[in-house]
Amino acid sequence: MSGGALRSGPLKPVGELLKYSRKYSLWMFQWGLACCAIEMGAALAGPRYDVMRLGVIPFPASPRQADLIVISGTVTDKMAPAIRRLYEQMPDPKYVISMGSCANCGGPYWDSYSVTKGVDQIIPVDVYIPGCPPRPEAFVQGIVMLQERIQREDPAERWQGKHWEPIVVGGGEVPA
Amino acid sequence: MSENTEVEVGATMSPENLELLGRVSAALGAEAIIESAQAVGDLVVRVANASWREAAKACRGALGFNYLSFIGGIDWMPAPVVGGEAGDTSSPVQPAEQTYGAAGSAGRFQVFARVASTSVPRSGLTLKVDLDEESPAVDSWVSIYPGADWHERETWEMLGIGFNGHPSLRHLYLPAEFEGNPLRKDFPLLAREVKPWPGLVNVEPMPGEDVEEEAE
Amino acid sequence: MPKFEVDPAVHRGLADARLNVEIDNGDMILNLGPQHPATHGTLRLVVRLDGERVVASDVVIGYMHRGYEKLTEYRTYPQITTLINRIDWLSSFANEVPFVHAAEQLMGIEAPPRAEYIRTALTELSRIATFLLFLGEMGLQVGAITPAFYGFRDREYVLNAIESATGGRFHPNFNRIGGLKDDLPWGWIAETRESMRKVLKSCDEFEDLVVSNPIFQKRTRGIGIIPAELGASYGVSGSNLRASGVDWDLRRDGKPYLVYNDLDWKVWTHSDGDSFARYWVRLQETRESARMVLQLLDVMPSGPVMTKVPKIIKVPEGEVWVNTENPLGEMGYYVISKGATGPFRVKIRTASLSNVSIAPWLLRGVYLPDIITVLASLYFILGDIDK
Repeated sequence: MSGGALRSGPLKPVGELLKYSRKYSLWMFQWGLACCAIEMGAALAGPRYDVMRLGVIPFPASPRQADLIVISGTVTDKMAPAIRRLYEQMPDPKYVISMGSCANCGGPYWDSYSVTKGVDQIIPVDVYIPGCPPRPEAFVQGIVMLQERIQREDPAERWQGKHWEPIVVGGGEVPA
Repeated sequence: MSENTEVEVGATMSPENLELLGRVSAALGAEAIIESAQAVGDLVVRVANASWREAAKACRGALGFNYLSFIGGIDWMPAPVVGGEAGDTSSPVQPAEQTYGAAGSAGRFQVFARVASTSVPRSGLTLKVDLDEESPAVDSWVSIYPGADWHERETWEMLGIGFNGHPSLRHLYLPAEFEGNPLRKDFPLLAREVKPWPGLVNVEPMPGEDVEEEAE
Repeated sequence: MPKFEVDPAVHRGLADARLNVEIDNGDMILNLGPQHPATHGTLRLVVRLDGERVVASDVVIGYMHRGYEKLTEYRTYPQITTLINRIDWLSSFANEVPFVHAAEQLMGIEAPPRAEYIRTALTELSRIATFLLFLGEMGLQVGAITPAFYGFRDREYVLNAIESATGGRFHPNFNRIGGLKDDLPWGWIAETRESMRKVLKSCDEFEDLVVSNPIFQKRTRGIGIIPAELGASYGVSGSNLRASGVDWDLRRDGKPYLVYNDLDWKVWTHSDGDSFARYWVRLQETRESARMVLQLLDVMPSGPVMTKVPKIIKVPEGEVWVNTENPLGEMGYYVISKGATGPFRVKIRTASLSNVSIAPWLLRGVYLPDIITVLASLYFILGDIDK
């Protein structure tokens, strides 16, 4: 089925439905690295936040079954090759959430000799969640904004590798 | 809490530390001890490089210090100013001359360790040992305190200090291809050299804080 | 020796060896991590297995190494408290205390009594938050998911108390050299008292749900036994060592710090030294901490929370070793100052590094599924191992 048929014409509602289903069945590969992983854990396992109600399922057996990867914590130069490798194992279309200042830019370790200054140096990032660590609410907000992006985007264009303006939680609307 | 913040000399030691020092020199032999001092209540004993292993044996045996707290290293060289004269001024400036802490040192590198007893409250002893500046090395403690393994690997990696008799000195924290010894004072933090401290960009007075205080 | 005269015992061995070659009974190398849910982050474990038994194992760490000791040399004293919050990220407040004490001792100042009481209360609250996560997580490692939800739920009560006092859920950065940033907010004491009651109740729940569960007992009793003397020589500390019967707690046996001597509490030990004992001791310590907080709330003195300190903090020349009983074990800072605004060298002694260094010894001979429970029962935080 070509992307064009789902984009306009009589099949357009089917395309919308496909996007709708995709956004509410995100299989999430959790890459808990540091402090942020605990807040991510609180968002996933804590009854107060409960991300699973948004259709995010955090238990893929391997990255090959995941749609979404959350890098939460400090990325070190020793860890970076492993992140790159597991990211490459994920099937397209795939999304990346960078959670916390360390994953965004190095954070408090901006001058360290062993820390990668941002995970976007090794993999493309869709959503940046600022904070040290971000509250679980911010993480939930990041998921919601990513779902908005999935509903709006054209899957065909993503397949063709179109670069989207990254989303920043707390930085206004989801960019078009 | 100690009133005296200076590093005290032997004559002003607390009675407990004098008693402990007596036991240390009895167990180790007075000639092995180069210097001793009290640093805010704790006894620091500097032993000769050749007696480092014997010191561990004495600690574990006669002195009853069954618990190894840590082993680490010190580089006493003054750090070069970051970024040269006009560079980043956000990091603290240390004195330019090379001085040594409690119990002194013979040169740039030292290894220090802390042992304690789990059966005697408030017990513990800090040991220091001088190293050769060109090829710093000292005997390993692994056969006496098995926990010394990782601490010695860390010290080797961070400061380039060798440990004779260590079963496998290899990288602990850093990737195997990492070059340099980060904790040496002449190891520069490249991020600091190329980019000023980001916090300097937007220094604003806090609300309610007047400008006079800022100037002070 | 004649060519064919072979000792029968050796001969049998040779025959076995040939058989082994035929069925290719080589050891299997299994790699866990660096990304594995059961390793609590980024610990990597390379295990050599014979069938299901571990023959040897090697722990590869450093995936979370952030270079704290180097970074402290580039920071001023007040900036460092921000940094060290994140070493053991579950009990951040407890990390600040020894460092701030070290600076205070070198400067010859003391925080006012109210500040010390609040520090003690917040240290114990972060201990409870840390242990509640462990009590839940450990259940998860033996296949029970419910305790994990309970742990996260009850931890929120404690985090609320920490947050309302400090403004941060778990990186408070609330200590200042010479006291605290702020006084407690209005109503905090009553609310915290209520939370502590909930914590005590949830400890009873964990006792019912996990400790008395026969499956949990089967999976943890007699597994991963740390002998007391060996543990001490490895530098294992805290609850892990107390679970091996060593009655040693720095809150009582170290140099006096905070206000533990004014409280009525006891040190819990267990004689078994296995995974179960470590769980049991932490459960009791959670209770004990909640009781300590309740006592502190009753006797909290009034007064200022900050003593007079210079605007720019310069710590006089000297060196000091301050160690405290953190939730994970002995944490200490060896601070060497040369009179500048930042330290010359800070040696950070973290509990988890030594606690995990015993793992290769401990895992020898255990079954594959028990690797996970043994590691979980040691309870480490990767930031605390890697620094």
